[in-house]
Amino acid sequence: MNTSSDHIIKSYDTELTRLTGEIVSMGELAVKQLEAAIDVVERRDERAAQRVVDNDDAIDRMEQDVSHDVVRLLALRAPMAGDLRNVFAALRIAADIERIGDYAANVAKRAIPLSMVAPVRPAAGLEHLARMAATSVRDVLAAYRDRDVERAHAVWKNDTVLDEAYTGYFRQLLTYMMEDPRNITPCTHLLFMAKNIERIGDHATNIAENVWFQVTGEPLQAPRTKLDETSSADFSGLPVEPDRRC
Amino acid sequence: MNNRAFAVTAPAVETAHHTKIRVRDLHFHYKEFQALKGINMDIPEKQVTAIIGPSGCGKSTLLRIFNRIYAIYPGLEAKGEILVDGEDILDPRYSMNRLRSRIGMVFQKPVPFPMTIFENVAYGIRHHEKLSKAVMTDRVEEALHGAALWSEVKDKLKQSALALSGGQQQRLCIARAIALKPEVLLLDEPTSALDPIATGRIEQLVEELKSQFTIVMVTHNMQQAARCSDLTAFMYMGELIEFDQTEKIFTKPDKKQTEDYITGRFG
Repeated sequence: MNTSSDHIIKSYDTELTRLTGEIVSMGELAVKQLEAAIDVVERRDERAAQRVVDNDDAIDRMEQDVSHDVVRLLALRAPMAGDLRNVFAALRIAADIERIGDYAANVAKRAIPLSMVAPVRPAAGLEHLARMAATSVRDVLAAYRDRDVERAHAVWKNDTVLDEAYTGYFRQLLTYMMEDPRNITPCTHLLFMAKNIERIGDHATNIAENVWFQVTGEPLQAPRTKLDETSSADFSGLPVEPDRRC
Repeated sequence: MNNRAFAVTAPAVETAHHTKIRVRDLHFHYKEFQALKGINMDIPEKQVTAIIGPSGCGKSTLLRIFNRIYAIYPGLEAKGEILVDGEDILDPRYSMNRLRSRIGMVFQKPVPFPMTIFENVAYGIRHHEKLSKAVMTDRVEEALHGAALWSEVKDKLKQSALALSGGQQQRLCIARAIALKPEVLLLDEPTSALDPIATGRIEQLVEELKSQFTIVMVTHNMQQAARCSDLTAFMYMGELIEFDQTEKIFTKPDKKQTEDYITGRFG
C-alpha cells in the first residue's frame, strides 16, 4: 500500500500547502506588527504608530482569504480525518492571529497619546514583554509549519513566564503611579498596552492547542497555571484624595 | 451482552447495542484466491454498519456471505462462524429459507421483476407465508410505506414496476426485502446507480429503517458512509483493518492505512 503523505489528487496537496503558507505569512505579519508597535513606543513616533494601526487591515484581509480557502476546501474536497483537522485548525489559528494583529494595533494606537506626554521610565519595560510575546508567536508558528507538537507544547507551557512578567510589570506601574500622580495617565496607557501583549501570549497558547489537536486529534488538556495575578492585585496602597471620599 | 469482544483484527467498539451478528475467524476462498482472511467483528443490532474499502478488498464478499449467496456457486468455501443471535448461519444444516427470511438483501442495481409493483412485493412473501388476499394487501402496503414509496405508487400498483424511475425501483427492491420482515438488511452499494436526489431519499430511508432492522451497507461513497452509518469497517486485501464508531473513523482513525484511504492518499 502506498502510505505516502501525498494525495492521489495533487491539486488537493497544493491547496493544503497554500493554506499552511497563508497562515504562516499572516502570523509573520502579526509579529512584525507587534515589533513595529513597540518600536514606535520607543521612538515616540506618532506617524509611524498610525501606519502600524492602518496595516492591521492587511491581516484582516488575510484572515478573510484563509476563511474563503477553508470554506472552499470543505465544500470541494470534503476533507476527512487529519485533513479535516488540518483545515479546522487553520480556521481557528487564523482567528487567533487576527486577534494578535488587533492587539498589536491597539498597542500602536496607545503609542500616539503616550508620545504626547512626558516620557516615563517604565515605558522601557514594555519592550521586554513584547519580545517575549513575539518569540512565543514565532515559535508557535514554526510549530504549526512543522507540525511539531513538542515545540507547540513548549510555547503553551511557557506562557506562564509571560504572565509572571506581566504581573511584575503591572505592579511596577502601580508603584510609579503611587509615587507621582502625573504618572497616572502614561502608566494607564502602558497598563492597557501590557495587557494587550499578555493577551497575545494567550492567543499563542490557543494556537499551540490547535497545533496539538491538528497533529494528535486530541485536545491539549494538561493543567496549565495562569500566572496573571493582576485581577487579584492589592490596590490598598494607592493614594486616595480625602476630600473626594464618600 | 458484551460488545467489547472484537478480537485479532478489530478494536473494541463502544456501543450499548446488543450484538446481532458475530463474525469469528471468517475465511473465504474463491477457489485458490483467499478473499477474506480471518475476519472478526461484532455488528450491533438496529444500527447501520458501513463497510468501506477499495475494490477487491472483500467488502462485498463479506456482505454476500451474510446471506450465503456464495452457496449457489461451486468451489466457494467459507470457514469460521457467523452467529446471528447465536445461530451459526454458515452451518450447512442451517435452513436457507430461514436464513433468507431473516436476512434480506438489496443490490447495487435495482432489479425489479417484470411484473406489477404489487406483485414485486408480494412475490417474496408468497414464498414464505400463505396469506389471505386482504392480509397480503395490507402487508404490501406496509412494506411500500416502510420503503417510503407508497405515496408515489399507491394509484398504480397494477402497473409494471419497470416503468418506475431508478430511485423508485431501488426503493421497491427495499420494500420487497422488508416485506419479509427480516431482522437484518444487507445493502450492497444501494445508491451507486442513482442520482443525488434518489440517493438522498435512500439515505433518509436507511435512517428510518434502522429502528426496525440491523443494516449492513457496503459503499464506495465515503461521504455516504459518514452520513448514514453508526459504525464503519475499513477493509483492505481481505482483512478488516479497522472497525469503530463512524465519527471516530472519519475524524481520527487509529490506523494509518485507514487514514490514507479516507483522505485519498491510497494508491
